[in-house]
Amino acid sequence: MTETSLSNAARGMAGEPIISVEGLTKRYGDLTAVDDVSFTVQRGEVFGMLGPNGAGKTTTIEILEGMRDADSGKAFVGGIDVQRDPKKVKSIIGVQLQSSAFFDYLSVSETIKLYGELYGEKVDVDAILEQVELTDRSKAYFKQLSGGQKQRMSIAVALVNRPQVLFLDEPTTALDPQARRHMWELIQRIQSTGTTIMLTTHYMEEAEELCDRVAIMDRGRIVQMDTPDALIEDLLATGFKAVREVKPATLEDVFINLTGRSLRED
Amino acid sequence: MRLYLVLTVASLKMYFRNRQAIFWALFFPMLIMLIFGLLNFDRFSPPDVGFVDNARNEASTTFRNAVDDGEDPLLDLKVDDDEEFLREELRKGDVDALIIIPEGFGDTGARSTMQVVFDSRKPQEQGITETVIRDVLDSLFLDLANVPDEFRVESRFDVGVSFIEGQGEGFRGFLVPGIAAMAIMQAGIFGVVFSLIRFKTGGVLRRLQATPIGPSHFLVGQMATRLIVTLLQTYVLLLVGMLALRVTIGDGTILNWIDLSIMAIFGGALFTILGLAISGWAKTEDVAAPVANIVTLPMMFLSGIFFPLEVFPDWLSNISQFFPLTYLADGFREITVDGASIGTLGPELLGLGVWTVIAFAIATRVFRWE
Repeated sequence: MTETSLSNAARGMAGEPIISVEGLTKRYGDLTAVDDVSFTVQRGEVFGMLGPNGAGKTTTIEILEGMRDADSGKAFVGGIDVQRDPKKVKSIIGVQLQSSAFFDYLSVSETIKLYGELYGEKVDVDAILEQVELTDRSKAYFKQLSGGQKQRMSIAVALVNRPQVLFLDEPTTALDPQARRHMWELIQRIQSTGTTIMLTTHYMEEAEELCDRVAIMDRGRIVQMDTPDALIEDLLATGFKAVREVKPATLEDVFINLTGRSLRED
Repeated sequence: MRLYLVLTVASLKMYFRNRQAIFWALFFPMLIMLIFGLLNFDRFSPPDVGFVDNARNEASTTFRNAVDDGEDPLLDLKVDDDEEFLREELRKGDVDALIIIPEGFGDTGARSTMQVVFDSRKPQEQGITETVIRDVLDSLFLDLANVPDEFRVESRFDVGVSFIEGQGEGFRGFLVPGIAAMAIMQAGIFGVVFSLIRFKTGGVLRRLQATPIGPSHFLVGQMATRLIVTLLQTYVLLLVGMLALRVTIGDGTILNWIDLSIMAIFGGALFTILGLAISGWAKTEDVAAPVANIVTLPMMFLSGIFFPLEVFPDWLSNISQFFPLTYLADGFREITVDGASIGTLGPELLGLGVWTVIAFAIATRVFRWE
């Protein structure tokens, strides 16, 4: 795809990519963190980046968020060249960083309101709190929240500007199974409003549950990219057999069955 | 503009919800001020007393030698023939009391009235001086003549007491503006360093970087907050000094307070920027804390906060007179003690200004967001 056709495509029209990345490369000294990466994400899609630690997932996503410069390659989000106009990109996306924190002496609702101001938006705080199910914690300080609540607040803040694309960097890392499933439901609800979501994760069942398409990264390169089902079919087609016999339930199913689906947040 | 206002209001909210910050900015300096102010170091030396001897006879010489033997005096006498000069000294607070010996002091058959003028602000010095005078007169009388009891002090010598209100406040007057200056330094440097380092290491600043506004706007809000805190802090500490330690602020006019506010803003800006430089450079609290202490501790003791620069050896005071805190404390003191107006404080403002430029240059060079 040429550069012009890329940006034309990105400019709208359903079914056209909202994120286009071509030949993206980022080096830190001798280490090539992101190595000639190309992919596109369709509007309304949930796109997952999988890979072990250090595979380059976070660096890729941070370049798309306008928070890091690339050494070479092109990246467009919502038709905007990220490297040329990172500010404009930042104004149309929502971001949840891997370890983001918020001011410790502002309440949840004050923080959401303040972030709205940073985008010049008058935010309906109550609606957002309801969406992420934090209504009853609106007066709590960030540091008083549980892990799952912190992640949900982080998503709430990412929603203040009604973003076209929501970037979630490991949204469920360090959450217990209940909180993780809760987060999945939230992500699916956000997708159902038409928001495109790009996320990274270490958890394969999470990718299977949430993602329309996934890219598997290793050592800075995308080694495979398709729908989860197609990837599994491809592997089976090579004659691959799982070492263990697959049972119709997992240990996590047992855990959830025993401890219930409801959240534990004190 | 609205954004800056919103960020400043948010910063202020955060500041006043953080009890630790308020403790260090307000209650800690207040505590130090009260402890040292109530200690009253003046009391450890005998009162300084002006002495005008109009008699120059045996009685007056005996009296004078009795109170001030040179070695271990009961009163530190400052002898001068010029009564008006000594009265002025009393008004300025350079002496604590004034004794005027009348002509023909102690002559038989006459009643001698020794005039004593006290500074009404120094009751402690008044008490000591009065006791000494009465004791000495008592024994002096016994030395002079062996007379029956009914002719004791009260009948032969009389002490006429009068008061004027001096402006000198001794150590307290020295201490209070110094502590107010020190508090600005502490709040500026420690307040900024610890909150900003926390925001930096916790990822708060990084999250702000993901917004179109970016974190530099947030620093403006922080700066505005610190300057507001600086002013509040200065007012509260000086008011406590006025009420608890009976220190006067210049001539007591609103102009003095305006001048103090200008001085405080200069100092607040300088130390906040210095705090930004330290927290922008340091990666973690473990690095920032010692650096902040290395910067503030020498100033706390060498900038003339608790002791005047004159008590240090020359080589040391030659250096410490250029410390940022010295300029701020001197400026405050000139206004509160001498009632100086900001127009005459050019050297202090210049000193603070030059340091601000230096701090700003360092801050912009070393600042890192993560």
